[in-house]
Amino acid sequence: MSDLNITGVEGTVAIKPPPETPKLPPREWLKENLFSNKFNTLLTLFSTAILLMISRGLLSFIFNPERQWGSTATNLRLMMTQAYPEEQYMRVWVSVAVIFTLVGASMAIWNAGSRVTLRRLGSFLLSSGVVINILTLLAPFSGQAKLIWLIIGSAVAGAGGTLLRVSDKDKNISSLTLVVATLTAAILSLWIVPFGHHSFVFERTPRSMAETGTVALTTKLPWTIMVVIGILAYFFGKTMTSRFPSKNLRPTIIGIWFLTPPTLLYLVLRDPDFDMGHVLNTDIPIFLIFAIAGGILLSWLTRPTTGEIGRVCAALVLLAGFGMFFTPMRMIIRILMLLLATFALAAPTFAGDSKKQRRYVLAWIGVSGIITWLVTAVNTPSTIEVPGDFFLGGVSLTLLVAIFTIVISFPIGILLALARTSKMPIFRILSTWFIEFVRGIPLITILIFFSIMVPLFLPKGMELSEVSAIVIGYSLFSAAYLAENVRGGLQSVTRGQHEAAEAVGMTTSQKTFFIVLPQALRVSIPPLVGHCIGVFKETSLLAIIGLFDILYIARNVIPNQTEFLGSTRENLLFVSLIYFFFAYQMSKASQRLERRVGLGER
Amino acid sequence: MSKLFKLLSLFLAVGVVAAACSSDSSDDAGTAAPAETTAAPATTAVELDADGSLLDTVIARGTLNCGVSGSAVAFSETQADGSVTGFDADYCRAVAAAVLGDADAVNFVALTASERFTAVQTGDVDLLMRNTTWTQSRDSDVGMDFGPTTYYDGQQLMARVGDGFDASSTVADLDGAIVCTNAGTTTEKNIAEAAELAGADIELLAFETSDEVYETFIAGGCDITTTDGSALVGRKVKQQPADQEWVIFPATPISKEPLGPTYGQNDSAWADAINWTVYATIIMDEWGVTSANVDDHVNDPGEVGRLLGGEGELQTVMGLSADAFYNVISQVGNYSEIYNSNLNPVGLVREGSANAGWLDGGLIYAPPAR
Repeated sequence: MSDLNITGVEGTVAIKPPPETPKLPPREWLKENLFSNKFNTLLTLFSTAILLMISRGLLSFIFNPERQWGSTATNLRLMMTQAYPEEQYMRVWVSVAVIFTLVGASMAIWNAGSRVTLRRLGSFLLSSGVVINILTLLAPFSGQAKLIWLIIGSAVAGAGGTLLRVSDKDKNISSLTLVVATLTAAILSLWIVPFGHHSFVFERTPRSMAETGTVALTTKLPWTIMVVIGILAYFFGKTMTSRFPSKNLRPTIIGIWFLTPPTLLYLVLRDPDFDMGHVLNTDIPIFLIFAIAGGILLSWLTRPTTGEIGRVCAALVLLAGFGMFFTPMRMIIRILMLLLATFALAAPTFAGDSKKQRRYVLAWIGVSGIITWLVTAVNTPSTIEVPGDFFLGGVSLTLLVAIFTIVISFPIGILLALARTSKMPIFRILSTWFIEFVRGIPLITILIFFSIMVPLFLPKGMELSEVSAIVIGYSLFSAAYLAENVRGGLQSVTRGQHEAAEAVGMTTSQKTFFIVLPQALRVSIPPLVGHCIGVFKETSLLAIIGLFDILYIARNVIPNQTEFLGSTRENLLFVSLIYFFFAYQMSKASQRLERRVGLGER
Repeated sequence: MSKLFKLLSLFLAVGVVAAACSSDSSDDAGTAAPAETTAAPATTAVELDADGSLLDTVIARGTLNCGVSGSAVAFSETQADGSVTGFDADYCRAVAAAVLGDADAVNFVALTASERFTAVQTGDVDLLMRNTTWTQSRDSDVGMDFGPTTYYDGQQLMARVGDGFDASSTVADLDGAIVCTNAGTTTEKNIAEAAELAGADIELLAFETSDEVYETFIAGGCDITTTDGSALVGRKVKQQPADQEWVIFPATPISKEPLGPTYGQNDSAWADAINWTVYATIIMDEWGVTSANVDDHVNDPGEVGRLLGGEGELQTVMGLSADAFYNVISQVGNYSEIYNSNLNPVGLVREGSANAGWLDGGLIYAPPAR
């Protein structure tokens, strides 16, 4: 662990690396750390025994012939996307491919990965080989399986030992290469190792089919393609980095990352069945009217000479927007009106010469175009026919709710935190009340309220799907907690920073956005990531209000299939692995982020 | 540049929320009539649509929204591909076949036990086939109407033979036993009531999901499990370990659980369409008309011919097409077919149970079609 930290620091600040502790030979290391005195020896033996017993229990649970692992294997698709139709599955794979491409390109553009010394790799392999062998001896395997696993374990340990002995002290390898090698090995194993072929056949009873052999082609082929796409995207990202300055490249990629979830969800996965006639004679004209009229209004508002009358105008637009929001009319008009009001209010900040004006108007046209497109897509009936009222479930629903909640609650939470520390009493009181009120209510209450009550309060002609209602409620809840985390960061920024910013003549907003917030957010990274992990895991409460999230499927749906009656424990173990995978990735990402900003080092 | 960029991403985030607000809504505010019925408060009966029966609404919509459990063994299971199958699900499909002519025109809505009645009242579902017991309070106070019972269930108990129980044991033998059951259901109340009446002193353990109940039972954490007989039989067939022998008793269940279609009250046309779909499957079973041989019986004289089309005025008067019940039988099947294909695999057989036809000593009976 400490090795990694040191490399990270070297990249950012040129400080002298701390003196290296001399590596002890294994025997002395053991003596120093595990058997240094009587009490320590006892503790070591005791915890080893406990650890071995737990492993043995877990292994005999997993490899018990009574376990219905077929229930997990057969229902994998149900757990990932619930009832998403098989013939449309290409859309899911396209979405996964887009995400793999973005991940690969971003890793190249942000120079992800570090160097790992071969010795470190060697000792890792050696110890994992030993662990594999110990676990094999504990597991209730048949003679042949035991032999195979012992051979595998010894091979791994042998490779590690050789690497330790042969390689030089300074030889190292990129961690990305290791990740790619592991992924490739995993993918290859899908083609070679007979994991078993499980599938669901509707027409016959019993309905699932379990055969020996490698996994189904519909599983291994797409995943192989995904890994290849990811690797290609990495090299594409590398060429991009050499062609374009990262100053332009990085914001572009961030923008694409932000646009990806709604685009994939509403356009790729949901596949709206556009009625071209309606689009041509209603949606496009509405957009054009708003784009042109809004453009004229904004170019006038951004003129430096407009002054106070502009603000009055913007306020009027805002009032009109609110008024229209609660009158029955086309959704798109209400939304565009509010958006225009927001733009109009922000206009004086962007006032300037004609180049700046043009840029602002173009931004308005771009944003309103995207919003029009999205709203039209959302309001168009989907061609995907699934039982129930939402077309996704399982892991995708869990991820969807978590991602949207985190992304939406971030700006709201930061604004709430700023309001709570603001000098203006109205903002401060409102924000404090909101935060304390929301924090005083359990999440499940808010979820139930938003799924059942809120649809009844909406203005006439407006409907909210259950999932959107939940995301909004959950975002508000999450924002209140997030605001408190950010407030902690805000208060850790010293008085001197504020005064220094004021001394160089910064306005309040400049001071907040360029001096205070960056420092505050940097300090709050650990609690913020903890919060995000919490948000992700607490999506499991969706199961209680009857949404088909992954926990609901594992706990209620699969164990009630005639064939897999009573298979709760297997599926719960699998689901916990999925939760762990994502939560661990988030935690790792935050550790990298902390190292990048040098948190805890300076 | 970057300031503008930050502002843009903020706008986009806000815009996406706003876009989500309108999801799945009808674009034109003026035509959002069906949405207005959602204003019915949860405790009152569903308001009758001023311009007619739910039957017309369903026919106009072209799909039937059918509320099911989605996680009830053999009654409505969600399969690995997301489709819903089972005894209840087949009755949803039967109603869709009768009303819309297409058994696949069903939108299954999975409902929890607590939200099922609200879903009917708010119009989210047209029909509830969610193993719902017909009780006095639900029929009157909750504002539901119940169709003909499709499955006569009853609460029974299951114990290990090794503990000295056999098929002739009674509730009085439970004295001192630990009984496991699902939390918050009527099963909990029923067994407590029955034990009190029989003078047996029992200890109740309630669990959130059925699986936890049986895990505990298998592990020896309780002596008895109790729930509806249909579920007990399924568990016994699928989960009885090699070293235990389970027995279900008493022969006469300790409660009556008639399960059947449930819908909002005071909508006679809609009720008739559902009830006669169920009756048609029962009558066809009595005459031995199945999905395989229904084509040979279309022109039969008498009841079968009348139901399958014939002159057809019996169906057209109800607002259905003349061949409505022909569609039911050909696309879904008669009562026996629905029963056997879904419930036989979990060990439930009609012979000798309350769900045998009335001619075989059971309770399944339909009024004459004429």
